[in-house]
Amino acid sequence: MLRKTPAQRVALAVFGLVIAVVFLFPTYWMFTTALKTPAQILSPDYDLIPLSATLENFGNAIAKPGFSTFLTNSLIVTLGSVVFALVAGLLAAVPLARMRFRGRKGFILLVLVSQLAPLEALFVPMYLIMRDADLLNSLWGLLLVYVAFTLPFTVWTLRGFVKGIPIELEEAAMVDGCGRWGVFRRVTLPLLGPGLVATSVFSFITAWNEFLYALVFMRDQDKLTLPVWLSSFRTAFGTDWGGIMAASVIYAVPALIFFLLLQRKLVGGATAGAVKG
Amino acid sequence: MRSWSKAMVGGMAVALAVAGCAGSGSGSGSGTSSAAPSGPRTLTVWLMNGSAPATLTDALHKKFQETHKDVTVKYEVQQWNGIQQKLTTALSGNDAPDVIEIGNTQAPKFASEGVLADLTASTGDFNGANWLSSLKDSGNWDGKQYAIPFYAANREILYRKDMFAEAGIAAPPTSRQEWLDAITKLKAKFGSDPNFQALYLPGQNWYTLLSFIYDEGGDIAKKDGTKFTATLDSAEAKKGLEFYKQLIDASGTKAPKDADEQTPEQAGIYGGGKVAMIVALPWEVATAAKSDPTIKDKTSAFPIPSKDAGKTAPVFQGGSNLAIPANSKDQDLAKDYLKLISTDEYQGQFAKAGMIPGTSKDVSALQADPVNAAMAKASTNGKAVPATPGWATIEAGQNPIKDMLTAYLTGAKTIDAATSDANAALNKAFSGS
Amino acid sequence: MTSTVNTVLPAGSPPPAARPGAGRRARRPLSDIALPYLMLLPAVALMVALLGWPALQVIAISFRKLDLGELVRGEIKWVGLDNYANVLNDPEFWVIALRTAVFTVTVVLSTLLVGLGIAVLMRHLSTWVRISLQVCLVLAWATPIVATTTVFQWMFDQEYGILNKTLVLLGFDSFKGHSWFASGGSTLTVIGLLVLWQAVPFIAFTLYAGLLSTPKDLYEAAAIDGATGWQAFRAVSWPSLRPLLMLVTFLSVLWDFKVFAQVWAIRQGGPDGQSTTLPVLLYLKGIAGSHFGVSAAVAVLMLIILVAVTWRYMRLLVRSPETEL
Repeated sequence: MLRKTPAQRVALAVFGLVIAVVFLFPTYWMFTTALKTPAQILSPDYDLIPLSATLENFGNAIAKPGFSTFLTNSLIVTLGSVVFALVAGLLAAVPLARMRFRGRKGFILLVLVSQLAPLEALFVPMYLIMRDADLLNSLWGLLLVYVAFTLPFTVWTLRGFVKGIPIELEEAAMVDGCGRWGVFRRVTLPLLGPGLVATSVFSFITAWNEFLYALVFMRDQDKLTLPVWLSSFRTAFGTDWGGIMAASVIYAVPALIFFLLLQRKLVGGATAGAVKG
Repeated sequence: MRSWSKAMVGGMAVALAVAGCAGSGSGSGSGTSSAAPSGPRTLTVWLMNGSAPATLTDALHKKFQETHKDVTVKYEVQQWNGIQQKLTTALSGNDAPDVIEIGNTQAPKFASEGVLADLTASTGDFNGANWLSSLKDSGNWDGKQYAIPFYAANREILYRKDMFAEAGIAAPPTSRQEWLDAITKLKAKFGSDPNFQALYLPGQNWYTLLSFIYDEGGDIAKKDGTKFTATLDSAEAKKGLEFYKQLIDASGTKAPKDADEQTPEQAGIYGGGKVAMIVALPWEVATAAKSDPTIKDKTSAFPIPSKDAGKTAPVFQGGSNLAIPANSKDQDLAKDYLKLISTDEYQGQFAKAGMIPGTSKDVSALQADPVNAAMAKASTNGKAVPATPGWATIEAGQNPIKDMLTAYLTGAKTIDAATSDANAALNKAFSGS
Repeated sequence: MTSTVNTVLPAGSPPPAARPGAGRRARRPLSDIALPYLMLLPAVALMVALLGWPALQVIAISFRKLDLGELVRGEIKWVGLDNYANVLNDPEFWVIALRTAVFTVTVVLSTLLVGLGIAVLMRHLSTWVRISLQVCLVLAWATPIVATTTVFQWMFDQEYGILNKTLVLLGFDSFKGHSWFASGGSTLTVIGLLVLWQAVPFIAFTLYAGLLSTPKDLYEAAAIDGATGWQAFRAVSWPSLRPLLMLVTFLSVLWDFKVFAQVWAIRQGGPDGQSTTLPVLLYLKGIAGSHFGVSAAVAVLMLIILVAVTWRYMRLLVRSPETEL
């Protein structure tokens, strides 16, 4: 990399942190609201930094009936759809990027076009399809729907990443005596690391936050997911704002953990790229 | 959906939420079927989150299953958020629920589409003589009754007894003039505190505006068969709107003019202790008490006063109807259920919980608490929004009456421009395209 | 640039399950011919069944009268182009379409600029600063929409919002009681900021991942050749970023054009319908009004607009050397 003077480094770091703070602010505001009592939430005082804090909202949120069931459901559906989307997406991305076969362009067009329809418009026909397939009220059914939602993106992005790997690297590995599988495992896959992380974080967050289809497709109360749970804080006689904010904080935690677990990979992929020039 | 949810219910435990509901083993645990003898028949009942108190549903389902030995009541509590989508898909399915609760402002949409069973012939079985008229209208389309009243609520003025006493206001106002006088006195007494508000009234509390318009003899629209024509540009409606502005100006409220009573939540602000009055539903006292538990004892209520001394203004009534989907497999059984739920015994539970029963005139249980009593007093003069399917989009959120209020109150439009724009928008919505 | 290596590429290059050393193009066993199709099968089957087929049904529905009653009774009433006439004859539709287009273009451009800037910046930050920035970005991305819309409404609240309070504190007294939601333009600006805030993390991460998958030795080579930062960016980063950038532009156009939840939650398309966009119209006609035929017509019109806007790009993608082998 290009060398930087210490002054440049500090300036960059400060700039980076300022941007971080700007992006953090709404989340910070959500977090501090979660720490406030109802009276403090609507206080006319200036409270950029919370004047006092309570953990009551968090306690109430977790104590809400069904929390652990909904958390489990959400985790199953979300992680399941991430894995499915990655496997199916990678399987499709490789031939689209590297193989020659009839109808290839047609498939590419299909992937592109299938992202155009507004999902809010699809839910009635989708409901009928799921009903006829007997997949309503089933976590499996919901999982498949989420895979379908994220697949076009996953296929397309991964295809881009596969293409972005200089073919010379794979050829060099071939020459070095790796088989195709060996090339894939040792060269292609590691280089795809960042792409896999980016797409799986995308799939995770899409599935984790989805509300409409989860609500409409699930009938039994013990099959609902967290976004539906979150909406139960709005009841007829008012909204528990502190509760919603606390629940949202709790809700964002798994996504954050998921990212942190993968973030090393995001770096690892780049260094692996230097393998066998 | 919003007025619907706002107008719903109250007083009972929040725990009613999602899965919890009862778990009492009496057969009303949501999502689980009862312990009653398992028969070949299941009755699926959808009530809303925070709707019927658990005391009501527990006893009701126990009783129902005693009299219907082969029936299992499958009681599922639904969330307000997304209920439109949920009902739309569920009603079209082959596994439609047998009894559903729908908001009174949405009932006309379902009634007019012919997706609900016609209950006209059975009204006698459902305590029909004692129905709340506003809810009866909501469930009626083209002369036929598709949904029966369930329960309702209407707004009143919550006030701080201690502040009134300190400001030397002897009795709660019984006319608009007395109301304005009370504001003047409160401001004279407490005005030195910059955070004090004699009345907290956000710009878009259109339910309050409706009271003023009704009081002037006006209405949102006039009815001709199943057709409605907006009448917001009438002289009466304009007078109502002017009084709203007069209140805002007189009280010097700090409430936003571009938002309704939920953003920010007015009960929370009232709970902050610097507000002497809000126009609210009875159970907002409980919300306020979350900020300050002592506020409950300091609060009482009086009905929205009329321009004519000694009278109360008519009020908008929000609430719910009950209906049987046309696709329900066992409509006779569902009718039995409606028959039972509309008896005085179970309707009385609503009064105890601080709501107006839909099919019973017995509101004596509301008299115990002055806050509920004030609502009951005004409830005899309750009205609903036009019973037209065209109201659905307004209900969904694009409400020209709110826009009219903000535009007029902020001075963006003159009263004539604001009312005629809103009128045109309403007529467009009524035309249903 | 990859098109030049066309002929060098083995027929079925690096897939798993391919037999090592299987023949070159001259002799293609059946398994090699079937292989790409087999690999595509799961993805294509799901996309066709759960996206393609429902989308075709929406197109069919747009020619039917499908209100709640017809839906519940399972009736099929064809009405030809009535739904389209209904939508297109309303002058309001064109205003809404134009508004949606302006909103989309503005949000997409700003998101891309900010996202690209952050991606490049991340590459030059020390590890801990970079990770702090990334965590903040992920938090913004992962926060549920019900919370973000609420938080934004509070921050911009007329009386109690932290923004107005802060501005007044800083001496801008005219912001006391300033209403950010009094006009459609101002409302859409707030919505745009909300969308931007939650969209930038994805863009930044994708582009950053693209930057990372550029082999490091290429940068080293550029450095040895004496390239400045900007030259290295042009010569090394840009070629690998360009396709990704086109991709995220394409995706952003799709997403921002179709964004609904945020627009609806902030002011339900108000005041006076001035922040109503096409997806809001779709919702009002469909779920709110139960005119699913009309709503489907709006959806199809949205689809047509999207195809028209992205057609060039899609054709480019399908025809260009980018997709050649």
